[in-house]
Amino acid sequence: MKPHLFGVRHLSPAASYHLESWLTEIQPTIVLIEGPSDMTGLISDITKLQTKPPIAMMAYTTELPVDSIVYPLAEYSPEYRAMVWAAHHQVQAKLIDLPSNISICMDRRRSSVIEEEPEGEPFNVYAEIARLSGEYDYETYWERSFEQLTTLSDFKAAMEAFAYQLRDMEEQNDSPAESSYHHIREAYMRAQIERVIEEGHRPEKVVVITGAYHVPALMADTFPSVDISNLPKRETSTTLMPYSNFKLSSQSGYGAGNHAPAYFHMMWNLMQKGQYDRLPASYLSKIVRVLRQNGTYRSTAEVMEGTRLAIALASFRGSQPTLKDLRDAATVCLGHGDFSVIVDATTRVEIGAGIGELPDGVSQTPIQGDFIRRLKALKLTKYRTNSITELGLDLRENRRVKSQEAAFLDLNRSFFFHQLQVLDIQFAVKSSYQQEDASWAEHWNLRYHPEVEIQLVESTLLGETIELAAAYQLRERLNACQTVGEAARIVYLSYLCGMLEMMEAASETVAMLSVDSADFVENAHAISELTRIIHFGDVRKLETKSLIPLVERLFLRGTLLLLDAASCNDERAKVVMTAIREMNETALELYEHVDEALWYKMLTELYLRDDRNPLLSGYCCGILLEKNIIDSKSLEEEVARRLSPGIPADLGAGWFEGLCMSNKYALLSRAYLWENMDTYLTTLSEEEFRRSVVFLRRSFSSFSSGDRSKVAEILGSLWGLDELTVSEYLNDELSETEENILDELNDFDFGEF
Amino acid sequence: MAEVLRLPAEKLYEEELNELKKHNKGNVPVGWQLSPRSVLTFIAGGKAGNLDIKPKYIGNQRLIEMAIASLMTDRALLLIGEPGTAKSLLSELLSAAIHGDSGKIIQGTAGTTEDQVRYSWNYAMLLANGPTREALVKSPVYRAMETGTIARFEEISRCSSEVQDALISILSEKSISIPELDSDVSALRGFSVIGTANTRDRGVNEMSAALKRRFNILVLPTPSDIETEMNIVTKRVAELSAQHQLQAELPSDDIVEKVVTIFRELRAGMTLDRKEKLKSPSGVISTAEAISLLTNSMALSGSFGSGVMTEQDVAVGLQGTIVKDGDKDQLVWKEYLENVMKKKGSEWRKLYQACSELNGR
Repeated sequence: MKPHLFGVRHLSPAASYHLESWLTEIQPTIVLIEGPSDMTGLISDITKLQTKPPIAMMAYTTELPVDSIVYPLAEYSPEYRAMVWAAHHQVQAKLIDLPSNISICMDRRRSSVIEEEPEGEPFNVYAEIARLSGEYDYETYWERSFEQLTTLSDFKAAMEAFAYQLRDMEEQNDSPAESSYHHIREAYMRAQIERVIEEGHRPEKVVVITGAYHVPALMADTFPSVDISNLPKRETSTTLMPYSNFKLSSQSGYGAGNHAPAYFHMMWNLMQKGQYDRLPASYLSKIVRVLRQNGTYRSTAEVMEGTRLAIALASFRGSQPTLKDLRDAATVCLGHGDFSVIVDATTRVEIGAGIGELPDGVSQTPIQGDFIRRLKALKLTKYRTNSITELGLDLRENRRVKSQEAAFLDLNRSFFFHQLQVLDIQFAVKSSYQQEDASWAEHWNLRYHPEVEIQLVESTLLGETIELAAAYQLRERLNACQTVGEAARIVYLSYLCGMLEMMEAASETVAMLSVDSADFVENAHAISELTRIIHFGDVRKLETKSLIPLVERLFLRGTLLLLDAASCNDERAKVVMTAIREMNETALELYEHVDEALWYKMLTELYLRDDRNPLLSGYCCGILLEKNIIDSKSLEEEVARRLSPGIPADLGAGWFEGLCMSNKYALLSRAYLWENMDTYLTTLSEEEFRRSVVFLRRSFSSFSSGDRSKVAEILGSLWGLDELTVSEYLNDELSETEENILDELNDFDFGEF
Repeated sequence: MAEVLRLPAEKLYEEELNELKKHNKGNVPVGWQLSPRSVLTFIAGGKAGNLDIKPKYIGNQRLIEMAIASLMTDRALLLIGEPGTAKSLLSELLSAAIHGDSGKIIQGTAGTTEDQVRYSWNYAMLLANGPTREALVKSPVYRAMETGTIARFEEISRCSSEVQDALISILSEKSISIPELDSDVSALRGFSVIGTANTRDRGVNEMSAALKRRFNILVLPTPSDIETEMNIVTKRVAELSAQHQLQAELPSDDIVEKVVTIFRELRAGMTLDRKEKLKSPSGVISTAEAISLLTNSMALSGSFGSGVMTEQDVAVGLQGTIVKDGDKDQLVWKEYLENVMKKKGSEWRKLYQACSELNGR
């Protein structure tokens, strides 16, 4: 006597429906289900009343690198129904597939093998079935051939025939890796079944529920056994997680996915009420309701016509309408021939936004529990939905509330979100960065989806709570830091997360690294990160004064490195220039702390040196001009020197270009600079002028047209013209001679530069 | 005996229809001569007994199923699509297969009047005897209702809105009242209307929502890939040349492929490899025009050339089809020639030269 086998598809209302009556008929003493055997412990939580599918059983490795496998269950999964049935009838239910610690390795191995296979169209058994059956796709074939069977005996017979034929087809086409994987699993399942029978269950009171594919192997009289003790293993833990219809609809985990979870749920509900024949009307009315909500009015008559059309379409194949028939009918009757009209409605009706629920405290990893606790404490529970919600935070103290906690609610939320970001958990995503520097305001987009749960579980290895995990993650990153810039970035992240200890640890690393650091640019980045914290520190109510001595030290170092860093090529000079800007901003902001005088002295030196990169010298000149450290006379000398005929034109022009890259408004407001330029240009010979034009043009390319006409006006007033005349002249059309001159310039051969 | 230029589908495929009738599979709806499955076989091809049924509409079979299913629910059917998507062909085949009669046609124009949709009078008799049944001139729709068959309404969107609206009550009440005779005519089971309408041409009228609601609307797509389109073109050109007894060889696959490639690229505004964007000419570049272009070129080569289609013959056709709107299209065509065709390699060289010579810019 063999145990009873029931082949299923993992997400199938009809299978569930017939399974239930079959179980009632047999009244088994134990229910065995395909699923990792070490997850049997989860069944008691799955069958709790408060548990609302879709949910998923999940296994994850307890050591890095993190890996996980997920087994989703819907309301109408036969596995789920079997568990519920067993719980109601006080019958034991057990999972009998390979434990997750082995299958997680096999999954990995299998997928790596598949990747190695030669390219080309892989044989797809499902596409082949669809082709042979004359259907448009496999899903339609399945729905018509199985979901629509109304009696248990028909269904069982059909599944059985399907199982053997599918097996045949698959075995001819499977790769060796694939078939050995199936073999091991089936041998293990057989051993489990035998054990249960040895334990004293009568075979005729044992039922086994597995995917149709495994039925032949489990029914076979003999089957080679496999020793699993030598298979590679990785330590795993298991948990439950809420799942969503959207995730169900994308192919995943438990064998086949389900392209229309909400539609199948509707089918399941109707089957239970014995009203399967109402499915077409029900589907089309739902579509029309969504259409109307969105402002596209369609009449009831059109819904009726659609239903009739769907039935007529299905009559070609002598069946009830399938989803494809319904959708085509909806396109014709409700979309007036245009699918795009109803596409949004079909997505909502077929996939839906449903999301599962687990009772509080149910087999959660500590970090999942912490996540829920923090959501509650921060009053964020209502944002735990699958649609994106925007949340604006005001980090300042709310003075209208009593408790300390409430006053800084938003601030604590911000810490929480930043911690999640450190862990790459995509529950909260920062949306607008406009005010990043200034801000006491932050904007976040919140969206909860099963992916978040997976990411949470995967972070469980890093720590028991989110804060601990974030701290661990930051510390790991800190240890990997090579440069002061990176370390300072960690300081900043810790600051955003509100983790003071971490911040101190990171600043120590910065201090340590800075001793050996001779990189001016990295140093400047670090200074800029730290300055940002010091400047806005009190927004987050964190003690930041301790960073000031560190910045002082770094700044001094940076000042001393400046001259060396300035001898470089033009490409590097752009980077150095940014660093100089960062340093200079710090000098302006923290003038009471850092050695400002030395900084300007160094800048002046760089400005005067002509063995350094001319771009940088020019840039320094701009900064110093702005600070009014150089006066008209010394500038005049410098301009004359820099641009004098003795100096190669490209050097001179580079200098001028660097100058123009500094604050333009500071330049525009200093007329003597332009006077100097003017004098210089008039001294050039025809040939020299042509050369310099190239560079002047390049320099001015970063000026807006407004700025350019401003320059023209300044020059105009130097030549004794008033502003109006100049702008009039500028806006006039070019005369012929002028055009000729410009053309000539365009023809100029730049080859020698 | 003089020969008819073009036979209606039920005559042309009489043998196939008879064979299908003999081997009818499945239920035959009231008023139909074939079961829905057999109608499908007639249009999409297959077997009836030992006879191979030729596929007549190439493309998405699901569309044919949907069209037949619509008619099974005695709903009127509206086929919409760009020129050359075989709307009229499908409508003719459907009515030929279902009732063996594709002849009750209203050919819609801007001048079509309501009388032509409902009924009018033989005025001599009307004046002589007053309103009598004998004086009544029945429209195709009227006759279809009486006999429980399908009336075809071609180019609905070319008629003015008032005329279109005459259909509304006919389609919902399924009867026409004749107040002059104090009587009415009610449709027998099997009656339906298949309309066709054009979406992109100039000079079409918008259809009212009320009328659209009374039709099941099917949009016939332009052929989805180049193979399908080439199949359609080759098949139709062969049929037409047999019909018109053109004294020339059928175009080679190579030429068909070139023409279809050019048409598809210009229609999509993009090269087939999707790497380059193009300008599209102002007119519609339909499959139908590819067919007529090739038959014209055949006629040209048959009557004035060697009988084998040359690049010159095709170039003349391309110029005429693509350049409709004077200067603008000429530029578009020129750009295409220089930027795309010229770079396609040596096989295209001759066609390129012939085309640029003709385009002359």
